[in-house]
Order: sequence, then C-alpha cells, then structure tokens
Amino acid sequence: MTPAEVKSAIAEGALVLDLRPPRRFAAGHVPGALTMQFNRADLADRAELVLPKELALVVHAEPEPIAAAATAILREAGYDVRGHLEGGLAAWTAAGEPVAELPLLDVDELRERVHDYLVLDVRERFEFRHGHIAGAQLLPSGEAWQKAADVPGDRPIAVVCGDQTRSAAVASMLLRAGRDARLVMGGMVDWLERGYPVEKQPVHA
Amino acid sequence: MAKIQEDRILDARGLLCPMPVVKAAKEIKVLEPGQVLKILATDRGSIADMPAWAEDTGNELLEWHEEGDHLVYYVRRGEDE
Amino acid sequence: MIFEQFRYEPLSAASYLVGCARAREALVVDPIADLGPDFYVLEAADQGLDVVAVVETHVHADFVSCARELADMTGATHYLGAAAQGLVRYDVTPAADGDSIHVGQIELQAIATPGHTPEHTAFVVVDHARSEEPWAVLTGDSLFVGDVGRPDLLVGDAELDVMDEETRAATQFRSIRERLLTLPDHVEVFPTHYGGSTCGGVNMSGKASSTIYFEKRYNLALAQPDAAAFVRFVRETAKPFPDGYARIKSYNLGLIGKDELAGATRP
Repeated sequence: MTPAEVKSAIAEGALVLDLRPPRRFAAGHVPGALTMQFNRADLADRAELVLPKELALVVHAEPEPIAAAATAILREAGYDVRGHLEGGLAAWTAAGEPVAELPLLDVDELRERVHDYLVLDVRERFEFRHGHIAGAQLLPSGEAWQKAADVPGDRPIAVVCGDQTRSAAVASMLLRAGRDARLVMGGMVDWLERGYPVEKQPVHA
Repeated sequence: MAKIQEDRILDARGLLCPMPVVKAAKEIKVLEPGQVLKILATDRGSIADMPAWAEDTGNELLEWHEEGDHLVYYVRRGEDE
Repeated sequence: MIFEQFRYEPLSAASYLVGCARAREALVVDPIADLGPDFYVLEAADQGLDVVAVVETHVHADFVSCARELADMTGATHYLGAAAQGLVRYDVTPAADGDSIHVGQIELQAIATPGHTPEHTAFVVVDHARSEEPWAVLTGDSLFVGDVGRPDLLVGDAELDVMDEETRAATQFRSIRERLLTLPDHVEVFPTHYGGSTCGGVNMSGKASSTIYFEKRYNLALAQPDAAAFVRFVRETAKPFPDGYARIKSYNLGLIGKDELAGATRP
C-alpha cells in the first residue's frame, strides 16, 4: 500500500502494526501505530494475547520479505490485514507525512527519577506479585487495549515488562490514547540484575 | 552441584516473551507431580517471569543458568498444579 | 554470539549468519541465490537481528550469489577481498588483509588467501564477549574439510583470471600453510563447500566443519611436501567441473545479467 492508501485506511479505522525493532519504532513511526516484535515462530500467538481480531491492520515491516511473512502469518491467524506500507518509513516521510516518537529510558535513568513517572507494569498478576518496582501500577498487557484510555495522564508513564517485548506494545497503545508514554528498555530483568529493590506488596491500581 | 535429570524437555528457543512461560505452563501439565521439566529459552524476559510463574503455580524452580547462547530452567511439577 | 551454518544440500554449499544479539546486528557470509535474500533476512529477523554486512570469501563459480540483492534489500555493506575491486563490474567494499568487520561484539578479521581465486579471503571470527582469541575461521573455498579448493575454474580471460592454474595451486598451497595453518590448533574451520561439491577434490568430507589441528594433521593435500607435489596431488584428485561454472562466474563478476544465466544456477 502506498502512504496515501495507508493514510486512507487509517482514516477508516485501520491500525498500523509496526514490526520493526523497538529502537527503530521509538526513533520514528507512523503516528498512532502499534508495535510488536517480529519473529515467525510466535508472532501470531503473541498478537492474539494483546490485539483484538476485529481490528483492520496495515503491516509496517522492513525489509519487504518481513512484511510479506508477517502479513501471511497474521492473516492465517485470522487477522484482517489490508496490506503493508510499501517502502517503509522512508516512503512515508518522503510523502511528507509526519512521524511520532516514543522516548526510551533505561533502568538506571528510571531508578534515578522514578518519582517523576507513573510506572506501569504490564506483566501478569503473578509476575507483579513476585516482585515489582515500588509504587508501580499493574496493567496486564492482555487488558491494555481495553484500558489504555483509563491510565491517568498527569505524569509521564514509564512502561515496563520483563524485557521490553510486551511493554513496547502497551507503550504504543498509550501513545495512541494520547498519553506521554516512555518505554523502559531492558525491563525488570535489567532492574533485577542491577540489584535495584523490588516490592512484593500488592499495590492497588 | 548434582546434575538434575529432566523427565521432559521444552525447547522454547526463538520464542519471545511471554511465550516461554505460556508454553511451560501447558507442558508441565503432562508431567506427574515430582517430575522435572527442562526448559530452553533465548528470551531474556524469562529470567524474571519463569521464577514468578513457578512460585505462583506451586511448581519448584530447581535451578537455572545460562548455557552459551540460551537459558536453561529446571522446574519440578508440584502437587497442586 | 549467534552463529548459524545453513547447509544447502543440492549444491553442498554452506552459508552463514553471524550476529551479536545485544547489538541486534548480523552479517551473512556467502549467500546463495537458490535460497535467496528473503531467506537470510527472515532467519536474521527471527533472531532479532538486522543484516548490516554481506561478506563474500570470493567470487563464486559454482553457485549464483545473491549478495548484491541482499545488500540492496537491507542496506548492508557488501564486502569482497580487496583484489576483487579490479575484477567485479559493480561496487563493493574491499576487505584487505588485516581489515576488520565488526557487528556488536563480533569481529571478522580478513586474511588474504589467494589461490582458488586471486581475491579469495578467509575470515577469522572473534567473539569479544568471550575472548580476544580467534574462535573460528570461515575458509570459503581455500581450505575444505579433508580437501582444498580447486585451482582450475578459469573463465579464459587473463585479466579476470589473473593467475593460471598452476600459479593458483602453488599460491593456494602457500596461503593455506602460511596464513591458515598458522592459526591456533583449536580454531574451528567452517568452509563454503563440503561433501559432493565439485569445488574441491575427491577427499572432501561430508562433515561441514573441522579444526585447524585436524586439517593440519589429516588433510592429505596439506600433507604434500612442497608446492609442486601439492599441484600434482590436486590435479590427480580433482572432480568433474561444476556445471555452467564459466557462466555462473561471469554473472557473479557482474559481466552478464540474470537473463543470460538461464538455468545455470546449479551444477
């Protein structure tokens, strides 16, 4: 699909699903795009955990063979994939279209300024109970599509999961809902490896 | 450390978060209580979610370590599962 | 380090994906058109890697290379031994003897090993996350498991062939002895052909990897006492020519296009 066609599809309610690596998504993406990490083995399984099947999708992946593979995989899983953005982000910007960004944080930066953020942990309840950042709110990634608009917008939101696979998807949903979301690269695994403290007390969301 | 003998192996290499734990949860149901599931994973997120899953489900994470380019977990099926 | 060897049985040819998971970058070595650029891009993507470099040990004569397409598709840098620059009709980034190519913590060190072809270059693999020592060497068609690359795949143009068969063989002997067998014994050998491939002689093993120690000790061609004996041995243990090699080589040199290849993609 050309940038113009993608733009029309978006106007009709389609969602761009950006399957590029998180840093690339963060640096610039089609405004309102959701993001997930690509692989062939379990893209369909992971999509089913967070994305409702009713959505019309436009795939954004680079280079071309990845877009083709992802389209086939998602269609096979029952998603309505309208096509993919031909020429990728370069084509989008060449057509004069704007890009949106997702700010990144690492765990050291988060630790230093943790009170400036609403920390949103998008893992499952049992993972959260096992150990979470003090003051973090829980929003399991499978519920994020439904509840992204309910997340308070008074502070920037630092989105965290085990690494950054699920948190990237949720961060993109929050951006789409107009929140100031930031993606914590390395997630709880990096936080734990640094020896930073975790709490086991449940925090009421 | 004594070598742990597994009763079943789940190769979750190449799968991304949270699939290794999702698959482990399914796979362990095939074992008898007391039996050991060995899980191979490349997903770094599993370092946090595998212990959490084990604790939550009454299974026991016996040991885990990095082996070359992947992670290895040994989980013993608990009684309650 | 992510290190994948893809063995393509119809051609008995091996290509490689070598990458650093942390840096999310990889290089592909000696990609085969029969597998196609899509194959390598998807294999890399499955492991969360971007292809940033395409490295060829030499200009192949027995299989059509998709290095140019793969580099175009991914924006990767296409490397060939420095001596290739005067031979190929397209732009390529030279890898001179001693040059390094880095992907994250992985380093490929170029070793000029002329013989099978004048531009042939082997690449030592170092994984700095583990050690500064060489861990493996990608030997292309210079040193095979149990055999050596043949010296007689000439296109019949002195400017493109550069060396005649006898000079190639003698140069191969020196290159392997002085530049490869001098690597530490433990270094693993990963060639671009194995088994039934007609790029080497009848002693080529079906096993697609070995070590410097084992080849030093048991490779019959390398056991020859001098260059002259080596040249004779290679001649006596040669296999039939790869089918259509002159046309395949011409395509890989950039002298002819895909349309003129017509069915010469596999021996």
